[in-house]
Amino acid sequence: MSDQVLIRIEDVSRIFPVPGGEFAALKKINATINKGCFTILKGRSGSGKTTLMNIVGGLDAPSSGKVFIEDCEISSLSEKERENLRRKDFGFVFQSVSLIPSLNAYQNVEFSMRLAGKKIDAGTAKRVRDCLKMVGLGNRMTHMPAELSGGEQQRVAIARAIAHKPRVIFADEPTAELDSAMAASVTELFKTMAEKEGITVLMTTHDVGLMDAADSIIELESGERINA
Amino acid sequence: MFRIMLQKMWHKKWMTLSLLIGCILLISTAISFPLYEKAAYDRMLQDEFNMIITKEGKWPALLEMTTYSQKDKTGMIGKVEDFAKSIYDELGISEKQTVFYYVLQRATLLSDMNREDAEDLSISVAGLTDIEEHIQIVNGEGFSETGLDEDGCIEVIVAEECFVPQGLLLGETLTLKGLEDGNGNPIRIKIKGVFRTRDNNDFFWLDGNLQLAGRAYMKMDLFREMFTTEYASKYTINCKFYSYLDYKDIRYDMVKALVDDTVYFCEESPYRGVLDEPEYLETMDSYLLKINRISATLLILQVPVLIMVCAFLLMISGQMYEMERNEISVIKSRGSYRSQIFKLYLYQSMVITAVAAVVGIPLGIGFSKVLGATRNFLEFDSNLTLDIVFTEKAVIYAAGAMLLSLLSLTVPAIKHSKVSIVNLKQQKALKKKGLWEKMFLDVILIAVSGYGYYNFHKNMSGLSTTVLQGDSLDPLLYISSSLFILGLGLFFLRIHPYLVLLIYNVGKRFWKSASYISFRENIRNGRKQQLIMLFLIMTISLGIYHATVARTILANAVENTQYLNGGEVVIKEFWPMSHDPSNQSEASFIEPDYTRYMTMEIADACTKVYYTDSGYLPLGKSNRQAITIIGIHTKEFGSMTQMPEGLNPKPYYEYLNELAVKPGGILVSANFNRLHGYEIGDSITYRNSAGQDATGEIVDFVDYWPGYAPTVRAINPDGTAFEQDNFLVVTHYDVLKQRWGTQPYEIWIDLKEECDGSDVLNWIEENNVRLVKYSNKDANLQNTMEDPLLQGTNGVLTMGFIVTILLCAIGYLIYWIMAIRERELMFGVLRACGFHKGELVHMLINEQIFCGVFSVLAGIGIGKLSSGMFVPILQQAYASENQVLPMKLITDVVDMYRLYGVISATMLLALMVLIGILFKMNVTKALKLGEE
Repeated sequence: MSDQVLIRIEDVSRIFPVPGGEFAALKKINATINKGCFTILKGRSGSGKTTLMNIVGGLDAPSSGKVFIEDCEISSLSEKERENLRRKDFGFVFQSVSLIPSLNAYQNVEFSMRLAGKKIDAGTAKRVRDCLKMVGLGNRMTHMPAELSGGEQQRVAIARAIAHKPRVIFADEPTAELDSAMAASVTELFKTMAEKEGITVLMTTHDVGLMDAADSIIELESGERINA
Repeated sequence: MFRIMLQKMWHKKWMTLSLLIGCILLISTAISFPLYEKAAYDRMLQDEFNMIITKEGKWPALLEMTTYSQKDKTGMIGKVEDFAKSIYDELGISEKQTVFYYVLQRATLLSDMNREDAEDLSISVAGLTDIEEHIQIVNGEGFSETGLDEDGCIEVIVAEECFVPQGLLLGETLTLKGLEDGNGNPIRIKIKGVFRTRDNNDFFWLDGNLQLAGRAYMKMDLFREMFTTEYASKYTINCKFYSYLDYKDIRYDMVKALVDDTVYFCEESPYRGVLDEPEYLETMDSYLLKINRISATLLILQVPVLIMVCAFLLMISGQMYEMERNEISVIKSRGSYRSQIFKLYLYQSMVITAVAAVVGIPLGIGFSKVLGATRNFLEFDSNLTLDIVFTEKAVIYAAGAMLLSLLSLTVPAIKHSKVSIVNLKQQKALKKKGLWEKMFLDVILIAVSGYGYYNFHKNMSGLSTTVLQGDSLDPLLYISSSLFILGLGLFFLRIHPYLVLLIYNVGKRFWKSASYISFRENIRNGRKQQLIMLFLIMTISLGIYHATVARTILANAVENTQYLNGGEVVIKEFWPMSHDPSNQSEASFIEPDYTRYMTMEIADACTKVYYTDSGYLPLGKSNRQAITIIGIHTKEFGSMTQMPEGLNPKPYYEYLNELAVKPGGILVSANFNRLHGYEIGDSITYRNSAGQDATGEIVDFVDYWPGYAPTVRAINPDGTAFEQDNFLVVTHYDVLKQRWGTQPYEIWIDLKEECDGSDVLNWIEENNVRLVKYSNKDANLQNTMEDPLLQGTNGVLTMGFIVTILLCAIGYLIYWIMAIRERELMFGVLRACGFHKGELVHMLINEQIFCGVFSVLAGIGIGKLSSGMFVPILQQAYASENQVLPMKLITDVVDMYRLYGVISATMLLALMVLIGILFKMNVTKALKLGEE
């Protein structure tokens, strides 16, 4: 963890059109996230954490406001540029099972390296194996997603998210479908990643029990930040 | 429940629409077949009747009864009269007319006028029903009210054919020698009038020349009163009873009963002794035989189409259940009864089927019209129309089709209504091989059909014998080809994953992420696509196969007809004989005026052709070889006849030139060389049927010649078929004329472009030409085209082709839309991970190649292979009777372009729609999908 700011969120609002008016999912959010920091986006269901994460992760654009990754304002990038950013510099872990069902654990992890444009060779193979070992699945590399439990799948997803050495990992409720013990171990894993690999992790959760692991917390309620 | 169902249907409107289209097509195709058959068979029946009228000049449905009543004491005449009148009701066919024709024993006539030639007068008094309506009185007058004159003489009228030769006088009274009336008085007749028949072609006159020349007709009522009732026992009367059935009333479904009833009357009824076996029995028998063969053929051709439609329905409903599996399992887990779920789907199926019937039945009527208007594969002719009548059989078919559609839609529900969410998750994890794959069904099918092919191929000549003998063809022949196609299709599905794997492994180092993921997807989930792939393969290969079948059968039939006809129009006139008083021993023909052909305005050219198939070649002392002799003007003949290329070793014109330069030369068929050992330069002496001979030197051998059939196949009296060589001698017309004198010749005419057969017929009428032979290539072609077997085959194949291609297009589209929707989450994940849109398109194209393009290529290969193997065998079934030319396998490139065009358009459309769906997809929404 360093004091260097990696992500700056400036006055970000997101308004969705709804029948008979508009709904402000985010209202002028400001925040900074430091490099190598494990940050938790906290809030109840519908508080706007996923919306914020999608905007920061380049999957969605804010209605107003700006998001910077270092000095690059991502909301002004073209779609192609944002895609390239997601491929190379970001890693994603979703609430639901997000593995490619036709690829086994090893191939799923390797695929993110392909996407990032890494040459597939002995080096990448070692990296894939290391990542899977890191998440504790070194002996289940050839298993298909359908043959793994929910927690195991989520761990493969984490391995996939870190394999290509992204600058940021976005994890949207990765523990929502896991029991508390498993949730704690997955959270712990994220923390280790951030420490060991120097990757910045932004994770959303509504599980209060996981907050201790966080380096910093951004708390939202009804689209507003309440712990600024 | 009903509301839930309607909501559900509306929510899945595309799926519902596809199911509806499938059901509509099933119902309309199913009913179009019996409707077409009925209409085509009716038309064919009327054609048969009309053929009898034009060829033989006879009423085609006539029952003839004869009694020769000598001293009739049993009142037989009256009984037969009643029978002749009641037979219409018995047979269920309406009456055209009933004619009684009674002839009193022939008697010598004594004229009251004491004529010198009185001894030579011999005439029969006769009565003929309604004779007045068929004659006109040319001299004198008709019968009076009573039929008797004031002196009690019977008034009679006689035909001109009788009046003049017998030298009768109008008003003359004559006494019939040796006959007395009921009271013992002599019978006297008075010539009241002379008549002429109103119309020479009147079917009323059935008893030939004698009916006019040797009869004096008295009033029919009077005849019956005086001779056939109470006094019948005194006379010998030849009675004929004609019942004219109205043949226009006879429909194809009545024929069987008509034949059975007629046979009963002729063989078992009390009237079997008087009733002659009617000629229509033979016509009907051969008609029924033909119908059976056509029905069997068409049925076998229809079945694959119906199976494809059912398979489509099963596929789409399978897709539907697949898509709704989650919903079903959720509902089920929340405590719904299986029966409730089942009912939901049952109601839905009933609504769809009912709507489909409302649309499908009128559409089926339309389809049957299209079937009837099919001229060639995928070609329609609005002049070919059929009167479509809805029949009981069509109702049964419609009901059957509705039941089938209901079953196809609901039966899968039984399976799916069992599944709860737990089973579902378990099922999804499984990757199963299909049952067919485990059972090696593909290998079995190929082996069975291969065996069928081997057997039929070995026994091709036996096949044509079967058909010639009128037996219907082994259905296994048709089925073999379908099974072969299915077997190869499945076999392709078996090797397809390995093929993909091979390509993947070969280029492993080069695949970019999009290709990589699509390869992995296919290797892992390729089995899901097997059904649509099989559908695609079957559509294409059956399409190619059926196109080839239809084209080959028709093209060969047409080519044969053209070849056998020789000239465009062939006319042979009646040649009267002359009795030259100076040369009593030799009668010679009088040649009709040929110059009128040379000035014919409707013709481009004409030539004399001497043609006889009753010539012979003396072999040794007692043996002779029958030959066909053709005498031609080489230049004229050559300018108006063509031969398809490749039939003879040399071009057609070379043979004509060889003959032209050698006045004493002859061209002979190759079997002279093969069977009798003749060589070029040998001389042959041949004779015509009158025994006149001519000698010629062989200039060359030909295998084929316009109008010449190298072999004839015919039926022995015992019903077995045999094949016999035909021998041909072609020589100069002038040589034959010199040797044999002027003999009746044919005139081969080449018509002007704008003229047709009707112009020729007009010309014949205008010039009062009496024909003994007339053939018109176009008319014969028309007959060939309209032959219900060919036409029906073309119709069914064309419709089957259109239907399957339509289903294939819809099925393909639906399948892929579903396949995308199912994987929306995966696409969302890919997009979130930074997958570009271009990469998605790339991925889709790859998947289309693996699934679509591979299947299309396999379909083309399988279609071509099976066409090459099975079409020549199948063709035997259609053309064996007049197949003279070697069979040619015809594939029309246009058909192939159409087929490929429709398929590529479908795949392109599918791709466009899919790209549209993917581009519209919202990544964040797609990701949400997984959270439910």
